[in-house]
Order: sequence, then C-alpha cells, then structure tokens
Amino acid sequence: MNIYVCIKQVPDTETKIKLNADSSGIDLAGIKWIMSTYDEFAVEEALRLRDKNPGSTVTVLSAGPARVVDSIRTALAMGADNGIHIDLPETADNNMAAKALAGALKKETKIDIVFTGKEALDDGAAQVSQLIAEYLDAACATVVLGTEYSGSSVKVRREVEGGAIEVIEAPFPVVVAAQKGLNEPRYASLPNIMKAKKKEVKALKAADVGISDSDQKLRFKNFQLPPPKQAGKKIAGDPAAQAKELARLLHEEAKVV
Amino acid sequence: MTWQTFAFVIVAGLAFGYSGYRLSILYRLMKAHRGKANRLDRIGDRVVAAIADVLGQRAVLRKRGAGIMHAVIFWGFLVITLGTLEQFVSTIYQPANFEFIGEVPYRVLLWMQDFFTLGVLIAVGFAAYRRYVIRPEGLGKSHDANVILTFTSSLMVAIFLMNAFHILGANPWFADSLPISKQLSRALATLGFGQETNHALGIFFKWVHMLIVLGFAMYIPSSKHLHVLAAGPNSFLKTLDRPKGMKPIDFEDESVQQYGAAKITDLSWKDALDLYSCTECGRCQDLCPAYNTQKPLSPKALIVDLKENLYRNKASLLAGKGDEVGPVIDENITDEVIWACTSCRACEIACPVFIEHTDKIYDIRRNLVMMESRFPAEVQPVFKNMETNATPWAFSSAERANWAEGLNIKTMAEGAEVDVLLWVGCAGAYDDRNKKVVRAFASILKKAEIKFAILGNEEQCTGDPARRIGNEYLYQTLAKANVETLNRYKVKKIVTACPHCFNTLKNEYKEFGGHYEVTHHSQFIAKLIAEGRIKPTKALDESVTFHDSCYLGRWNDVYEQPRKVIGALPSVRLVEMKNNHDQGMCCGAGGGRMWMEETIGKRINVARTEQALDTKAGVVASSCPFCMTMLSDGVKTKDMQDKVKVLDIAELIDQATP
Repeated sequence: MNIYVCIKQVPDTETKIKLNADSSGIDLAGIKWIMSTYDEFAVEEALRLRDKNPGSTVTVLSAGPARVVDSIRTALAMGADNGIHIDLPETADNNMAAKALAGALKKETKIDIVFTGKEALDDGAAQVSQLIAEYLDAACATVVLGTEYSGSSVKVRREVEGGAIEVIEAPFPVVVAAQKGLNEPRYASLPNIMKAKKKEVKALKAADVGISDSDQKLRFKNFQLPPPKQAGKKIAGDPAAQAKELARLLHEEAKVV
Repeated sequence: MTWQTFAFVIVAGLAFGYSGYRLSILYRLMKAHRGKANRLDRIGDRVVAAIADVLGQRAVLRKRGAGIMHAVIFWGFLVITLGTLEQFVSTIYQPANFEFIGEVPYRVLLWMQDFFTLGVLIAVGFAAYRRYVIRPEGLGKSHDANVILTFTSSLMVAIFLMNAFHILGANPWFADSLPISKQLSRALATLGFGQETNHALGIFFKWVHMLIVLGFAMYIPSSKHLHVLAAGPNSFLKTLDRPKGMKPIDFEDESVQQYGAAKITDLSWKDALDLYSCTECGRCQDLCPAYNTQKPLSPKALIVDLKENLYRNKASLLAGKGDEVGPVIDENITDEVIWACTSCRACEIACPVFIEHTDKIYDIRRNLVMMESRFPAEVQPVFKNMETNATPWAFSSAERANWAEGLNIKTMAEGAEVDVLLWVGCAGAYDDRNKKVVRAFASILKKAEIKFAILGNEEQCTGDPARRIGNEYLYQTLAKANVETLNRYKVKKIVTACPHCFNTLKNEYKEFGGHYEVTHHSQFIAKLIAEGRIKPTKALDESVTFHDSCYLGRWNDVYEQPRKVIGALPSVRLVEMKNNHDQGMCCGAGGGRMWMEETIGKRINVARTEQALDTKAGVVASSCPFCMTMLSDGVKTKDMQDKVKVLDIAELIDQATP
C-alpha cells in the first residue's frame, strides 16, 4: 500500500504570540516549532496501517520554508519511511499549500491513501485536506475518529455536529483527516530517531510542482492580538447591593444582559 | 591411611567438587552480562570499607536485634570454621592439628570455639523465634531459611556432642578449655556408656558434623545462603561514595545497538553479584515507600525475581545462546513494578550487603523508554515539553524568568558580576507555590548582600526527570545545552533550592564537562546564618517538623544543615517524624513519579503527610519543590490546611529576618 501523510509545522502551543513590525503576520523570532498535533494522529494512523500491510510504505510530505524539514524528521523518527519537502514561502496560504502537496503527490506512481490532521493548530482553517482531495480528484473524509480498511477502500467513523457519528465508506485514493481520539501517537524510539537523522528528505521547489505566486489566493493584511484578559472584580456590599452592581456591570460593561 | 581418611577424601572430594561446579556456573552466568562496571578503583578505601562492613559487621549492625544476632553467627562461624578446618586436616592425616600455634593460643582458640558454639546456638534460636513467632513482614516465608536454620543448629549441637563424647572417651589435655562441652560431658556421663562407646560416639558426631558441613557446602550455591560467599566481595566492590551519578550512555558509540536492559544480561556482572548477595532479609522492603503503600514493587522481590529470571535463562546462557534469553520484564517483574519506584534509595541505604536496586530499575526503564517507547501515557507530554520548551511542564521558555518580575534580579546575559549563580529550576520558575519559595530565597540572598544572578530564559531543565524515567537521550541533550551555557558564562558557584537540580548539577554534569561548586539552599542559608550575614530575629513559637528530601538526604548526605536552619529560628521547636534522616520516607515524587498518575494503593504523599501530622507540628518544613507540592497536596487531602502550613525553610527564614 502506498500511504502518504501531509503534515504542517506550527508554533508550539506554549508560544506567546507576538505580531511582527507591520502586523502582517506573527513575529517568528524565538518560536519553537512542532508538528501540528492533529498531524501526529495522521502519522500514527499511517504507521499502523503500514505495519498491518507488509510491503507498504509511509511517505511524509510538508510544504513550507526550510524549517519544516525538522517536522518531517520528527515523523521519520516516529517510523515513516520517506520524506518530501516542498519549498514554499512563509506567506503561503491554504490553497498554495494544498496545491503544492497535491502536485508532489501526483508525481508519485500510485497513491492509495493520504492522511492529514483535521485542521492545523495555528490557523485552524481545516481546508487543506479537502483541497488536496479536490486537486487529486480523490474522495475525502474529515474529522475521522475510526477506520476500517479493506484492500481498496476505507470505512471511516467521522464526528459530525452534535456529537453524532457518521459512517462512510470511500474507495482509494482517499484523503483521511484525523481527529483527536483516532489513536495515541507513539513516542519515537531512539533507534528510529537515529535512523531518521540519516534518511534523505527529497527536496522539491515550488516550480517543480507547478506553483506560482498566483496560487496564493489570500493576502494577509493585518493581525490583531485578542484584548488582554482583565483581572477579576470583587463586588463588595450586602447581597442586595452586590446583585444590583452585578446586573449593572453585566449590562453596561460586559453588555451581555 | 585409615578408613576415616579414605572415606573423608572421597566424600569431601565429591561435595566440594559439586559445590565448585555449581559456583563455576554462577561465575559463568555473571560473566555473561553485557553491562560494564568498573569497581577496582581506590583499592585502599575498598579494603578499609570491607573490613568495617564484613569483619566488623558495620552495615549489618545498623539494625539492632537482628544485627547482633547475625554478627554473633558470623563471628562464631569464623572461629568455629578454624576448628572445622583442623578437623578436616586431622581426619586426613591424624597427627596434624593446630596445636603448633602454642598451648595458650590453642587453648584460647578452643575456649572461643566453645563459647561461640553456644553463642551461635542462642543466636539461631533467636533467629527461629524471630522468623516463626515474631514474623516481621520483611522476612516473609522461606523454605531456604528453614533448611539453613536446621543445618546451623544441627552443626552446633553436633559440635557439642562431639566434644563432650570426645572428652569422655579420650580425656584430651585441652578438655578444660572447652568448659561448656565439659559441663555437657558430665551430664552425658550419667548415661553410663563405656569409654569405648563414648569414643565411638565422639567419632560418630565428628562425622555428623563434617557431613553437615559438606552438605551445607553443596547447598550454598543454589540457595539464598550464597550470600556467605557473595556478600563479602559485593561489599568490597560496592559504590564507595554516597552521592553517585547514573551511568551515562555513549550515544556516539555506534557499536552499541541496545540501550538499557531488555534482558537480564544487559545488566552488568556487578548486578549479578548483587543478586547472588541477597539473603532476603527484607530491610529494603521495610523502608520502601512503594511497597508500604501497596504498590506492586518490593525491592526485595525485585532482586529475588531478577535472580530467578537469570537462573531461568541458565541453559541458554551456558550454551552461549545469548539471543535466546527471555525479556527481563516477565510475569513477576511487570511494567508496574518498574514504574512504581520513586528512586528514593531507601532500599540501597538499608541493604546490609550494598545491593544497588535503583541502577537496575533505571537500566530496565531505559530499555522500555528508548527502545520500546513503552511508558505511562501521561509521561509523553512531559517528554514533549522537555524537548520543545526545556521544562517538564507546559510552559514557554520565554516565561521562565517571569517569577522574578519586579525583583530587579540580573541575568548572566546582562553581564552581571556575581558571587554565585542562582539556579531556579523549573518548579521555581513555573509552579506558583514554588515561585514563592524562590522569591523568598532571593530575598534572603539580597538581605545577606550576596551578589547573584540567574540564567533567565537560558536556563533549561537539568534533565533529571527524563533521566530518572529512562530517557537518557533527552537528558543528555538538556545536560549538554546547560553545560554549554554555564561554561560560556564561566560559572563556578551555583546555588539552588531544588535537590533534584542540585544532585544533577553537582554529581551528573561532570561527565559532560560541567564542574561547578554546587550548594543546596539549605547549606547556603546555614552558612549565611553561621557567618552572621543573616539574623532571623522574629520568633516562631511553633513546633516544626522537617521532611527530608531523598535527593538531598540519601543521595547527598545532607541532613543537618536544613535542621540547623530551622533551629536558628528563635523559639522554634523542631520535632522529628517517625521516619527521619536516612530512614525518612519519600514524598512520592522522585524518579519521575512527579509526572505519573498514582492509581494503585494508598497515595505515598498522604502516607508521608500522616507521619508529619502525627507529630502535631504546626509547620511541615520542606527543602524541595516536589516535596512541597506533594506534602501540600497531602495536607489538603487530610483537610488540615487551616491548621498545618507546609513551608520551605527559605520561607521560614525570610519571614523571620528583617
């Protein structure tokens, strides 16, 4: 089976986000980068599928600046077989990333299944999985919590609004976007970390996969940080006065009643 | 050549031959271990320690009752064995005996033998009373022990009967030097046997004695009584110093493919000798915080089970088929056993034959973590946090110095000229309760006009949690980064309020080129007080009990300074808990347990808190951020937070110092 995983590198969840000088993006200095958490579920699912189907390979792809190779290596250390990096500018949007990933996938001889996270931890757009499927003309199942494979199709359990579970079956090639709960991602063993250091990551340029500036559909103009959290207020007085003051604050300051 | 010579040579030859064969197997099993242990340094120190611990029975005597009992049996056997040796020699060649040492020394020897025979008999009686009547939990049930006690008491009885009948039958010139045997002979005379019968009975009991000795020799290699041969060498080859760093792994060495112990033989020959030395006395188990709170780990059972694992693989190992050896994790040594250890080292301190339990557990953890990625699920985010943000907790390294906001504390990067570097540690940097402790300590440093600085965001976790959990690779990444930073600033002196950081910086960074003079804040404050640079004047009319941190006490022998610090508070009353100093009980957070769920048995921190509450002290003093967390939680669990405060010694001193 030819198994692929598309991953995204995102700022670590503990990062204190600051804006860059012209507020066109975030300040990248000092950021610790990690593989987006949902993508870890995707990698784990790919590895488990490979291990159940001898002769299969798992190839990890990521599109972005040179730093994203570190996250490809993280996936290789978890046990993936091959890595492909597509060099895209820092400003690339979801469409450009999806088209680049699909372009790289099209260069492969045969694709059975492509795993992704259900969304990225940073922009939370949840678009790339579907876009990749569209560019590949493949089926797509998102927010996936469970899988059951046959040789040429997959039956997935996916979460839909209101906590209901939808079961759908899709033929290969298919894009499957993983939700938290699909599995417990493994911790890379030391022998695999060592091996991952030596593995070659195939490098593709944007042009190699047919990407030009016009593929960027979104331009980021202005970012704003959420207003800082205010300290709690303690309302003094007897219960009647406290209730009155609380109602006033909820009405006038919080504007919720 | 008499029939006795003939019979003895054959019987003894067979017995010692068998025993030697069994011992040679044990030696081969020991040599089949892959791990390395260099224990032939500092020979002089080793000789001195072995004389004290083996001949002097120092370690054994740390426990009063059973210790004295053992010492009497041990010294008794030393003396009596000389007699046995003489017996063997004279059985082979009649005229040969030890009389050549002179009449007086010979009489003294016999006299001692006579009295020790009684001494050993009484001690064995006490041992039996202890084992079958008192039945201390640590001893457990042991078929071996039944056999050994029977053997030993029979030997002594046989000696008395042999001597007594010999006196009656041959009236030797030295009969007066065997007063107890002589007394017995008077009693036996009433049986009215003729001289020849008495003579024959003397020879009969000599043979009974010799045959039991030979039987014992055959029995020893396959029993827990093997300790009579192994414990001496094990004491000689022990780790000499109390503070000890964990064995590092050389990840550059590409010939090594297996990290940690997957199989028993991945441990070292010294570990095997440890197993041979165990006599199942149970002292380790008595003090184990995991065992005492119903966890599946007993350090004693671990050693017994490891030995069983080794013996189970005997055939493969002797056939040179090391690859057929089964995993060290088996039906007895489960994952839960290995993860239950808090690395408090109470077992090692208690062990009279210097078995090192923690190293084995660490080695097994290393394999589970690094080779098999197999560990409690809640540990994975801890590793990830340490990898990404250099702290076990989920905080950004950019926030590391937030605790110091408004305190005007310089960082090394600001080019501070300092007497000492304050190593904050992750708990002090990120945990709200422990931030207060570091602030209090910084306040003391300022009051004492000490010039100090911090590394700020450049400080990283020392790696201790990763190392104790078994992730040596992650530990080394952090250790190397910290050593690089410390050496870049040419740091010489470090002080820290965290015993785990203290232990790592002091004992475990040397191997990565980090050589610093590291003090724990208890030592530092004690010195400031002694030098009069800090004068706590505000009285604390309260009783305070001090909880010993394992990594300060048992790992580094620091017991008195924190108590001196508390004692410097005017009007204070220091009360000790039931378990204190090196017998202290762990809070439950060491060995990475701080980051693991505790789902089996009673919570260790609650058990320890109960000991603290039993003292009726109003303040539980701690000197470790993890202990602080565990004891504070314990006091809350017991709903005593309104009556009992858990405070760090730095907070006590800062409050009392204007």
